[in-house]
Amino acid sequence: MTIGEHVQDIRDIDVTIVDTDVHPLPVSAEVLKSYAPAQWKDKLWPTGNAVSAVPHFYDTPDSYKTNSLRVDASPPGGGVAGSDPDFAAKQLLVDAGVSIAVLEPMCDAQLPQAEDVLKATHNDWLADVWLGEANWHGRWRGAISVTAQDPAAAAREIERWAGHPYMAEVLMTPQTRGIPFGSPHFDPMYAAAARNGLPVATHLMGQTPFELIPIYPVGNPAHWHDFFASWPLLYVSHLMSLVFDGAFDRHPDLRVVFVEGGFTWALPAMWRMDRIWEQRKADLPHVKRKPSAYVREHVRFTTQPLEEVDLGEYRQYLEMMDLGDNIMFSTDYPHWSYDSPDWAIRRFPADQRERIMRGNATALYGLPATVKALPAELPGAGDVAV
Amino acid sequence: MTIIDANVQPHFRFNSEIRRYLSAPHKLRAIPDVEQQWYQAPGGDYRQDLYGDGYPGSDPETMAHHLFDDNGVDYAILNPLTRGNIADYLLNSRICAAVNDWLLDRWLEPDTSNRFRGTIRVNPEDVRGAVAEIERLAGHPKMVQVGVPMQSREPYGKPMFEPIWEAAAAHGLPVAVHINGGNGVDHAPTFAGHAYTYPGYAAFMPLNSFVHLATLIVEGMFGRHRDLRFVFADGGYDILTPLMWRLDTFWMSMRDQTPWVDRFPSEYLRDHVRFCSSALDGPTDEGQAEQWLDFTNKADLLMYGSSYPHWSATGPSAVIAGLNDAQRDKVLWRNANDLFGVAEVEGSLA
Amino acid sequence: MQRLPVCAIEDLPPGTMKLVQAGKFGVGVYNIDGSLYAIANYCSHEGAPLCLGYVRGTTEYDPEMPDQIRHVREGQIARCPWHQWEFDITTGACLADPKKKVRTYEVDVAGGQVYLTA
Repeated sequence: MTIGEHVQDIRDIDVTIVDTDVHPLPVSAEVLKSYAPAQWKDKLWPTGNAVSAVPHFYDTPDSYKTNSLRVDASPPGGGVAGSDPDFAAKQLLVDAGVSIAVLEPMCDAQLPQAEDVLKATHNDWLADVWLGEANWHGRWRGAISVTAQDPAAAAREIERWAGHPYMAEVLMTPQTRGIPFGSPHFDPMYAAAARNGLPVATHLMGQTPFELIPIYPVGNPAHWHDFFASWPLLYVSHLMSLVFDGAFDRHPDLRVVFVEGGFTWALPAMWRMDRIWEQRKADLPHVKRKPSAYVREHVRFTTQPLEEVDLGEYRQYLEMMDLGDNIMFSTDYPHWSYDSPDWAIRRFPADQRERIMRGNATALYGLPATVKALPAELPGAGDVAV
Repeated sequence: MTIIDANVQPHFRFNSEIRRYLSAPHKLRAIPDVEQQWYQAPGGDYRQDLYGDGYPGSDPETMAHHLFDDNGVDYAILNPLTRGNIADYLLNSRICAAVNDWLLDRWLEPDTSNRFRGTIRVNPEDVRGAVAEIERLAGHPKMVQVGVPMQSREPYGKPMFEPIWEAAAAHGLPVAVHINGGNGVDHAPTFAGHAYTYPGYAAFMPLNSFVHLATLIVEGMFGRHRDLRFVFADGGYDILTPLMWRLDTFWMSMRDQTPWVDRFPSEYLRDHVRFCSSALDGPTDEGQAEQWLDFTNKADLLMYGSSYPHWSATGPSAVIAGLNDAQRDKVLWRNANDLFGVAEVEGSLA
Repeated sequence: MQRLPVCAIEDLPPGTMKLVQAGKFGVGVYNIDGSLYAIANYCSHEGAPLCLGYVRGTTEYDPEMPDQIRHVREGQIARCPWHQWEFDITTGACLADPKKKVRTYEVDVAGGQVYLTA
């Protein structure tokens, strides 16, 4: 679909739902490879024995078949779920009613330089396939993927993309091989992000080779459900480091987004940090404010995966937590653990809904108040698919 | 009102005192001190006023005065530290046995007031040795629980540990998990590696209890052993609500991988899990404490534990601030009494 | 409620499903070993199109097996295409949580035609 096909009838609609976590996939390894430098193709995609494209250890149900994706999200024209911008627009923007979605590709590599090249390749692919012509409607945003292993290289990649109209954030792994987020190691990356007004988002990768799963302090569970229920403790570890190790003091304009870890764990984490800060101030002379104040100013959390729990109890918890300014709705489309906006919105206390579904992300990413309607969203759209 | 303090750490008068309780082959082995290498609290691990009169927490009379007189406590569960998950698991078990013998010798046997209770420390890496140690001491009326470290290279739901939990449950002894001292072959204490500050370590470490807990449920350990109870003695229970919600939610998707889990994971908590209070748990706004304790039925799970003589030691009034009467009753006495049956012991020695 | 013709019984052999435009979200009509069942195409969790997911068996705890798992009820369990919750097609029951049942419908065969009452 090109802009010419519908230039006669472009209308603006209000932004009502911002989806802060969507996963585009290249339609094939060959397409992705075409964006990589020639001398790196063989290194990043070794030939020889076939290797599963997306390893699924700590596998989700039937993942050999599902690839941890929604079973109903495969594009009718072929390809894996999330690989077709038009079908993603139909399912997410039209059917689910999302106004703007932040696209976060997932990738990782062992060695720093390889990771830098792989992330840059994904950035080039994302900008071309999703943020170029396909984004005539202006409803996709992208993440600048960077290597956490080489923050200076990450800073260069950030500068390369800063100013792109649709790159909205920096994206780094939280699986940092033993370096917590508050470490000065990351300073060049944080400085570049903050300097360019870009939040730094981090996204857990569970479907990954075991080498990239941190060894849990008391050892690793055997099954996905207890593994994944514990996974937010990685974010807790990083959050405590950001505060206690002074990252927010060194980078007053830094904003960090914890993606796909849920957010309800942030309440006890803030209490614990506040309590120990009160009791051990002398150990933290550089931490000038209550830890929870740093969290409220500098940190955002995306909502997915939402918990299946009694609604009354859940709303009580969110009211007690009073973190309505820090939570941003996300679907995780097209992953299997997708949260539907219709269902999600009813979970939140009424006075937090607007901020969660739209306001907080709009403020963080500098999003517009309106976007272009897709043809299928216009009155009298009839049989138009998208 | 009766008050039970479910978490007290008695200490040796000096680190090498443990050697009096080791047999000849072990007397000259290198053994870590109880103080950790990397994560001691700056200024000292213990309450400041306890320094200067012998090692903090090493004198029964002083401790009795602080707990029973000052804090109004009636019974105190003593859970001594051992020396870490050292590589030689057999020596580690001898260290545990030495600590147990010392506890009996210095704290439990001489206590004619009958207010101290004790813990059978065992080394989970030495399953045979741990079971033997439980069998050796389970009959002692003052030993009310088995004690293992928080630190472990495998979470406690994994099958290799099962004979130990089975032995504890057979004797009606809860298993208390507590952050250990000393020096061990351990993974880094946070999910993001080592902490760079003491607060970064101390605030996070108790949360690792959730991984032990989740595996005990998901691996079926609680399902197979109806009388097995675990106590997480360093607190960290505030994380229970959000993470058990997650575990309940995701179990619904994964039920067929672990069909021996025949109910929501959170349904195992009441019959199998307890926590001791800590200085780092609880809302910072006292006005939220009552409502908070009702989430995940924590009022039924929580027991007052001072952590004496630690710097973070709390008195009973701190832990019950903001709670309603029923909650206070449970936290200060009832939950611990149901678990440890201290009143029963008293009756049997009368 | 209406009694709607679905298809000829030959067009719904055992092990297959027909999605019918009935009810608010559609209804899946299943032939399981010659018996017919119908469930709402709407997962009781977040409203996913339940009938678009895989049809599988499920597992029971069997301590006699080396992996302690016994595979049962092949072809009788609808797994939601999103979070993979398990639903018993024959009763609409959610295997993990009895409170999350999905709606079931009457199906009958008359004169070689399958009819759905929805």
